[in-house]
Amino acid sequence: MTDMTSPATAPAPLDKPSAARIWHWLLRHPPVFTLIMIVLVCAVVGSINPDFWQVANLFDILRASTVRGLFALGVLVVLASGGIDVSFTAIAAFVMYSITMLVTNWMPDMPMPVILVLAAAGGACFGALNGLLIHSLRAPSLIVTIGTQYVIRSFLLTFVGTALFMNIPVSMESFGKLALFTHHSANGTISVLPASVLVLAVAAVLTWWILQRTLIGRAVYAVGGNPGIAERLGYNLRVVHVFVFAYAGLLAGIAGIMHVSSNRLANPFDLAGTELEIIAAVVLGGARITGGSGSVIGTMLGVVLITLVSNVLILVGIPSTWQLAIVGVFIVLAGAVFSLRPKR
Amino acid sequence: MQPKSTDASHPDTGPSKAVVPFLEIRDVQKSFGGVRALKGVSFAIEPGQIYHLMGENGCGKSTLIKILSGAQPADTGELLIDGKPVGKLTPVAALAAGIETVYQDLSLLPNLSVAENVGLTQQLVASAGKLARRLDLGRMRETATQALTAVNLPTDRLFLSTRTDELPIATRQLIAIARAIASDARLVIMDEPTTALTKREVDNLIGVVDRLRAKGVAVLFVTHKLDECKSIGGRAVIMRDGLKVAECDVAGHSKTELAFWMTGKVLDEARYRDNPVFGDDLLSVDNLSRRNAFADVSFSMRRGEIIGITGLLDSGRNELALAMAGVIPADTGRIRLNSADVTPKTPADAIAAGIGYVPEDRLSEGLFLEKSIQENIVMPVLDRLRNAFGIVDGRRSRALAERTIADLQVATPDVANRVQSLSGGNQQRVLIGRWLTINPKLLILHGPTVGVDVGSKDTIFRIIQRLADEGMGVVIISDDLPELLQNCDRIMVMRKGSVVETFQAEGLAEETLYRALVQETTARTGQ
Repeated sequence: MTDMTSPATAPAPLDKPSAARIWHWLLRHPPVFTLIMIVLVCAVVGSINPDFWQVANLFDILRASTVRGLFALGVLVVLASGGIDVSFTAIAAFVMYSITMLVTNWMPDMPMPVILVLAAAGGACFGALNGLLIHSLRAPSLIVTIGTQYVIRSFLLTFVGTALFMNIPVSMESFGKLALFTHHSANGTISVLPASVLVLAVAAVLTWWILQRTLIGRAVYAVGGNPGIAERLGYNLRVVHVFVFAYAGLLAGIAGIMHVSSNRLANPFDLAGTELEIIAAVVLGGARITGGSGSVIGTMLGVVLITLVSNVLILVGIPSTWQLAIVGVFIVLAGAVFSLRPKR
Repeated sequence: MQPKSTDASHPDTGPSKAVVPFLEIRDVQKSFGGVRALKGVSFAIEPGQIYHLMGENGCGKSTLIKILSGAQPADTGELLIDGKPVGKLTPVAALAAGIETVYQDLSLLPNLSVAENVGLTQQLVASAGKLARRLDLGRMRETATQALTAVNLPTDRLFLSTRTDELPIATRQLIAIARAIASDARLVIMDEPTTALTKREVDNLIGVVDRLRAKGVAVLFVTHKLDECKSIGGRAVIMRDGLKVAECDVAGHSKTELAFWMTGKVLDEARYRDNPVFGDDLLSVDNLSRRNAFADVSFSMRRGEIIGITGLLDSGRNELALAMAGVIPADTGRIRLNSADVTPKTPADAIAAGIGYVPEDRLSEGLFLEKSIQENIVMPVLDRLRNAFGIVDGRRSRALAERTIADLQVATPDVANRVQSLSGGNQQRVLIGRWLTINPKLLILHGPTVGVDVGSKDTIFRIIQRLADEGMGVVIISDDLPELLQNCDRIMVMRKGSVVETFQAEGLAEETLYRALVQETTARTGQ
């Protein structure tokens, strides 16, 4: 048996590109589709209305992507593990509102880093609770997080408060105004790239590092691929479940604070109802709703695409009521294309 | 190493003197609810030996494997590694001790790369199961490369980064073995490793096992294939009903003896086919072709005839079966049944024409495991069971299901039980029973005894013979050559999409058939 014929049939190397090969390659790299859709939207909108290319507009898109992006990174990690989370907006609302209240009423001098740590810790606690419930009840994560979403939201409105905070704490307000980059255009308008974009960048790099370069990250994908097999191979499902939901909660807490500081307003009714849009962004970025796949880069592209569609269509005279339809078409399109991915 | 060395090179594998067994279990017992799966089993595994853990489904061998791999704890009894008692064995602790298991489903993570599937376990063991650790990519690739080399798989970057669900089953099998030997395995347990492999791939596997053995690694096969057990050699540990009933050298005992220990019944290997009576012409397949699958397949058969079709996995036999059943229709050519053109384009066409198809993978293609036996059986004939209001008549359905299970000797107290609750052999009979409800003229059986134990095989073969005697045409597609030789009138061999030879099964030697099957392969590798 020394001259065993190799039974492996790895995909043949790409010697000459053909339409079928390119198509096949694209199917294996879903974020490229997202990128193509982004380029298409930009090209169409930009050719109809050149104002699209103004720095102010690009900054706006980035600013609007921050909170969505933080949420989406959390959703990505949960989806990769084969779960789904719809409670993150409720967690964010709870954390942002209670911390704003705490700081305003009792500790007006609290510095921004402490606020962020507090928000992250609070969000992570809620998330860990989700994870523990899902693991110990062996219940579908969609059902559990629908439940905790209602409980958290109701608890917030009943016991914490319903009144808006129009004057948010100084540290949060000044963080909201903090500029990473200021652009003075020829016609005198000043546009600002807020520092919160940096928070998203750090979160994205951290998430990438965790998913790709640590054992827990690989365990997340392993569990998402097949939880039964992963458990048999020695991966601790409890740790993975608690980790992914706690991580999503942590990012949701931070996203909540970003939301308050950029809006200069803490409204406990905010963010509710945006869950599906975030999940759609992650799926548009190539993550499968059934788990085990998805990438940080794809997720970021998905967020940009969703933000683009909801922010710029107005520039080319498409009424805002049409935005949802276009987002919907993109989602169906992406779903159809990604379902063509090879599987055996 | 000689290709056929396995029988001759280690005829004496009896317990050797003064060797401390690597692993020993003493009086292990395990119950689930009120069912005693293991009633006190003891045996020892010595380094560099090959063992076959044999027994029918439900004899307790799966439970024993779960205990050895740390997936489940034993209720009572002792487990010793290198002569030292081990308290609690978790999956990670078992791996750390060098006990690696290649599960029947291979347990590869479908969405991870080859390198990750092979190399991650070692890092998980090194961190004692703790997940908050950095991933050492370099070490992972190194581990994977070494292990893949040992099983003769490629180690280029492209292959290392390929997702395992994009690879053929034989490659996945070798990847699972590579993972098992990646981290200094001392015992590799292989749970029915050859179920999904053709004979050529089994030979590859045996080569790998020989090399492992030479390095002092013990290998424990869990199997109920007597032929393979005989050709691999080593020691047999035979279980029945939660007890070890025999332990012996495979070489010193006949297949009939081994089968007797496993089943408690005497089973012989005689042909089941005797005095076939053929009726009128039944089926005529003319120049059936499908691109990239099979080309110009023509044959005809008469009522009461049994035809076997075999070939390697890539020979087109599976595609031919699916085309005849209308699951993946043929591009050109036609199928005539009683002279009428019935070439099916959909499974519904095939059913309407009287062609029943029992798929190879009954779990994913055939049965609704969560549904009752009754629902599974009456499914194709719901139309016929409608009452005046268009509602399926429960009493008639039940009567039909009960008649069918009595007919096929399915062991169940109630047709309302879930199919899940049945053993593999009984599940297969339910699936055959379903197709009998349409009174098929032609029954296509695809791998009818895959994953079925020896005793059930006998029952299924008897059913096949009876159906043919009643005038049905039966086509069996299988790579289990003894099964074809025992049951068929004619056997067609496919290679590269064409029927290359047709044999009369009566008096045909397995060796002749096997050579026809692999002719081209053997020429290329120069064996």
